[in-house]
Amino acid sequence: MIQLTINGKQIEAAEGITVLAAAKKAGIEIPTLCAQKELTPFGGCRLCIVEVQGFRVPIAACTLPVSNGMVVNTETETLKNSRKFILSMLFSERNHFCPFCQVSGGDCDLQNAAYHEEMTYWPMQPGWNNYPVDSSHPYFILDNNRCILCRRCVRACGELVGNFTLAVAERGAASLIVADTNVPLGESTCIKCGTCVQSCPTGALIDRTSAYQGHEKAMTQIKSVCVGCSVGCSLNLIVHDNRIVRIEGDWDGAVNHGLLCEHGRYDPMQNTHDRITTPLMRKNDKLEPATWDEALGAVADKLKPLAGKEQAGLAAIASTRLPVETLAMFKELFGDGFKSGMVTSTEEGWPTAVLNKVAEKTGAFEGKLDVLRNADTVLCMGANIAKTHMVAGFLVKRALPKGMHLIQVSPKAGPLDEFADVTLNNKPGSDLALINGILAVIVKEGLGRNPLAMPDAETVIAEALQATGLEAEKLAQTARMLAHAVSPVILFGKGVTAQRDEKLVQALIKLATLIGAVDSERVGLLSLKGEANSVAAALFGLDKQFSLDGQQAIYVALGDDFASKSLVQSLEKAPYMVVQASYVSELTEKADIVLPVTLWSEQEGHYISLDGRVQKAELAVHAPEGVRANAAVLAEVAMRMNMPVKQDWQAEVHAKKSSVVLSK
Amino acid sequence: MTAQKITIEPVTRIEGHAKVTIHMNDAGSVDHAYLHVNEFRGFEKFCEGRLYFEMPSITPRICGICPVSHHLASAKANDMLTGQTPPHPANLLRELMHMGQIIQSHGMHFFELAGPDLLLGFDSDPATRNVVGLVSANPALTVKAVQLRKFGQEIIQTLAGRRIHPNFAVPGGVNKALQASERDGILKGVDAATQTIKVGLQIMKDWAEKNIEDINKFAVFPTGYFGMVTPSNGLELYNGNIRLIDRTGKELECFDPATYLDQIAEHVEPWSYLKFPYYKKLGYPEGVYRVGPLGRLNVADKIDTPMANEEHKIFKTLSGGRPVENTLHYHYARLIEALFAVERVQVLCEDKDILSTDILNTRKNWTGHGVGVLEAPRGTLIHDYHADENGKLTKVNLIVSTGHNNWAMSNAVDSVAKTYVHGPEVQEGMLNRVEAAIRAYDPCLSCSTHAIGQMPIQVEILAADGKLIRTLQRDSA
Amino acid sequence: MAKPKISTDWMCGCAGCHMSLLDMDERILQVLELADLRSSPITDLKEPDKSGVDVGVLEGGINNTANEEVARKFRQRSKILVALGDCAVFGGVPALRNFCGVQEALQRAYVDAESNEPGSQIPNDPELATMTKTRAIHEVVPVDYNVPGCPPDADIIFYVLSELAQGRKPELKNDLLHWD
Repeated sequence: MIQLTINGKQIEAAEGITVLAAAKKAGIEIPTLCAQKELTPFGGCRLCIVEVQGFRVPIAACTLPVSNGMVVNTETETLKNSRKFILSMLFSERNHFCPFCQVSGGDCDLQNAAYHEEMTYWPMQPGWNNYPVDSSHPYFILDNNRCILCRRCVRACGELVGNFTLAVAERGAASLIVADTNVPLGESTCIKCGTCVQSCPTGALIDRTSAYQGHEKAMTQIKSVCVGCSVGCSLNLIVHDNRIVRIEGDWDGAVNHGLLCEHGRYDPMQNTHDRITTPLMRKNDKLEPATWDEALGAVADKLKPLAGKEQAGLAAIASTRLPVETLAMFKELFGDGFKSGMVTSTEEGWPTAVLNKVAEKTGAFEGKLDVLRNADTVLCMGANIAKTHMVAGFLVKRALPKGMHLIQVSPKAGPLDEFADVTLNNKPGSDLALINGILAVIVKEGLGRNPLAMPDAETVIAEALQATGLEAEKLAQTARMLAHAVSPVILFGKGVTAQRDEKLVQALIKLATLIGAVDSERVGLLSLKGEANSVAAALFGLDKQFSLDGQQAIYVALGDDFASKSLVQSLEKAPYMVVQASYVSELTEKADIVLPVTLWSEQEGHYISLDGRVQKAELAVHAPEGVRANAAVLAEVAMRMNMPVKQDWQAEVHAKKSSVVLSK
Repeated sequence: MTAQKITIEPVTRIEGHAKVTIHMNDAGSVDHAYLHVNEFRGFEKFCEGRLYFEMPSITPRICGICPVSHHLASAKANDMLTGQTPPHPANLLRELMHMGQIIQSHGMHFFELAGPDLLLGFDSDPATRNVVGLVSANPALTVKAVQLRKFGQEIIQTLAGRRIHPNFAVPGGVNKALQASERDGILKGVDAATQTIKVGLQIMKDWAEKNIEDINKFAVFPTGYFGMVTPSNGLELYNGNIRLIDRTGKELECFDPATYLDQIAEHVEPWSYLKFPYYKKLGYPEGVYRVGPLGRLNVADKIDTPMANEEHKIFKTLSGGRPVENTLHYHYARLIEALFAVERVQVLCEDKDILSTDILNTRKNWTGHGVGVLEAPRGTLIHDYHADENGKLTKVNLIVSTGHNNWAMSNAVDSVAKTYVHGPEVQEGMLNRVEAAIRAYDPCLSCSTHAIGQMPIQVEILAADGKLIRTLQRDSA
Repeated sequence: MAKPKISTDWMCGCAGCHMSLLDMDERILQVLELADLRSSPITDLKEPDKSGVDVGVLEGGINNTANEEVARKFRQRSKILVALGDCAVFGGVPALRNFCGVQEALQRAYVDAESNEPGSQIPNDPELATMTKTRAIHEVVPVDYNVPGCPPDADIIFYVLSELAQGRKPELKNDLLHWD
């Protein structure tokens, strides 16, 4: 530990941390603008300058490591005047119009810094050059007039997201934040994650939807969980007057550390579909409004006679966007209560069923997403992490420039291929052969961390090359790269699990063990699953493939989800359909009874992430009148069937063996 | 005797910057008087390239007396531009804010700007002929006047969090719902505000009785009249069609304000930065019309709130059923409108939807062009925006309230000068009457030229060769 | 001892700062007790006393030659000069005209606007003032106190005027300091 003095206070600090961080830990706030958690310190704004005894000039605290015996002062007269001067230089460099700026009045770090220094004016006027305003992006505006070139956006885009779209063009006073080679943001490689907007300390990056909706201090902040996919990113919802004004990533979120993708940050803010606000019943081939009593009564009348019929009875399908509580109830009612033979989820177990089957024999075998944070080699198989589960993808993309090795395995070409060390486009159906081939090479070259008997290694290799169509050198290169890795991770997705091949999964486990990805310290093996509650749905056995086979009625618990085209098609043949849904869609238009239900943000509920984290999404806003919570609707239906559900989901989720370890 | 030019500079107790030149002829009577509006800022140009949704925050800076009018007109233009139709509760809230604006602006004008002339007299000592003098002359009334303005401003503050340059209306609605306690707070102030306006009405009526001669010769002339109406031709200040009637009261047009370019055009004179709008079909100056309280009350057949309606009936009898042409009756009309606004505040606050949180529609139906029109305190306000597909403004046109009255104000100045100013000995009180002619229109010259300014007053009487004969100063201190 | 004299005026602004001054509501009577309000846009005196005033308060920036004259006169005749509001302190919203320039702005307003009569010309009568770049007051004359805000709250204006009227130096911070 290092001993130093800050403002007369004796402080102990870990070696390697900066004076800024040490001060903060000791409760001393030094003003900053370009500093941001998890970003490499830049030292560009100069606002955090401190006086260090023996140093010739004041020095930026954010880039100064602590050293023994250092004597630091942060609040001298000279420093106060210097900060005022620095801020006035920042204001004079560009064009800052506080009166009509969206963040003015509390949400601007630059303005707040000026207030902190009690500045009432700036002495030098700007040169009145009009800097460009980029309005080509659908979600936000980039106004270079307000930019202080702190580069938080650039650093975030690169270091946190790994996308590297933003950069700085030119030098000195002509410096400009640009996208790619200075193309409009709307036409660039931007993936619309919005991390730059959340990082910006001024009004240079403005979120369109929340502009002029009011200041954060007047609003309520609600911590919640994203239900866009199974990653389970932590959200900070900014709510006012019963509407979500803006969605932000929670910087303190355990899973995502503040990151979100387009699906989490922006999709829920789009208003492209109409809500259903009253129950509907089909009368004379038209859907007419009805009361809850009428509608539920009709549901009970129609479905009750089908109880107990495993065949020609009732089929039930639930969206995996629904909370655990609702899925548990759904399973209890239609699976246990109705004893229907076709109770499943919209995901039909494609991302999950095989995993639990394997876990029945081996126990849990998957690790936590955090292993990606310090992995040095990743084998990514059957997953396009540039398109789905994107925040998990960020953890990989951002490590590539730091030297992480990526082996991308897929039957088709993909967007990360150009960044991968090795791309394996093996023939469809040859995944098992491929993994066995890699295992064989490692055994043959004696590179395995643990003993593995494989007397026929040569044959296995030959078969692998035959089946996959790959070249021997590539297979060998892959095997060696994995074997030599210090902290490897095997990451796989629906491309693997949809094959429902237990042997394939077992082979991956074997490989993970052989290369030391799995040991007593860490578990470097995980699958991405699918939607928000893929794991829970699978644990409740809602993982069958769906098919209509003479059932007389079907109950679809859709929630705020939309049915895929193929599902809509298969449900066309259903003689009678009850749908509980939030939005008007192709499916609801074909239903016989429609029950309006709450959105993800209008109900509280639990979600189990891809690595077993049980997280709670909070109720953030109240649903329109006439709309009921998903779970409440099922409970009512159950009651009217005389099949009350007790819904003990906590017990239910532990009833089956899971491939992931469930934790809070 | 040689011809003279008298300059009044600046005109005081108005908003903005105006200068009057009075050209005398050899016979010592007035040849012509001009109203020069002398400032220009250029909002229509420098707003190009800004994002449409910034305009409700930028345009209030055109005027600090009626920022709410610009804020709301701008939001209405944006609604049309993006296709986001506000839900009903949002319109109620916007109109409530607008009524607060009308009350504070009309109240301030009658008691604090124009009031000193009526209460202390046109010819009283200029050193005390102002609100400070009112404080000494009638402290109780001054306090009431301050509280009336405060009532209006507090409605705005309750809704937006601040009184001047609010952040409240956004495309598709408003950003904050009204709480029950806030609504109750507003309702509590209705009675006192009503009483103060009634006191003002009585002052006006008493003054009118005593000064009937002035009322009938002070800038009385025919024009058309122009203002917003309800579908049954009642007074309307927030949303409706525009009705234009001719000097006899006959309806010439009743049109959707978005089509204003089909109906009116603006004429430019070299001697003023304020343009002259007129009705295209009759040409300029035949097609000039008046807006604001006098214009609106002439155009409206009725008012849908009871107390104001009673006053309006009396107002309609002033010219035997024909439109009222007397410039000084602007003050009377202004108070009737203030009364309407207070009654409207009560109606809106008692609406079952006023506390709703259904205040924003985010569903877009992009058109790229929006026209937002409403009746600001001083007249019809038009914001017209064109934006590209990303929302950057490509064209902005603003026709601001007082502008429509430009010809009338110029004519009033001319008429009053000819009636009351006789050379070569020009009394200060005569000049004040010329200014009072302008004041009656409650001009907002910052607004109308999207500019503002002031200069020290100095009346110079010049011979035709420019030689200074005499100087009258009104600032001697 | 005679009450200190205060003069105010507005230049290239919107009158919002003066409206904010009136927003001190009944407290204006207190201010009128403490100080003698001389020339102001809401009184009929047109310029600060030739013999000088104690406090001159100017709202608005400077965008023409007439404004320059007002600023110079106020500086000359005021012991203490206060720049009131963002337009006076920074140039404010009207300074947006500096990006497009005076000629382009005039051209748009008086020639190109869709509602203009065809053939309209930019006004050019000698009675009208000459336009300049839009500037903050301190770019033309030295300022003693800057009171930012768009507009500054009535509380701030009340504080500043009453402090100056009582011979004290106003200090703007925390709730009394905002630039919006």
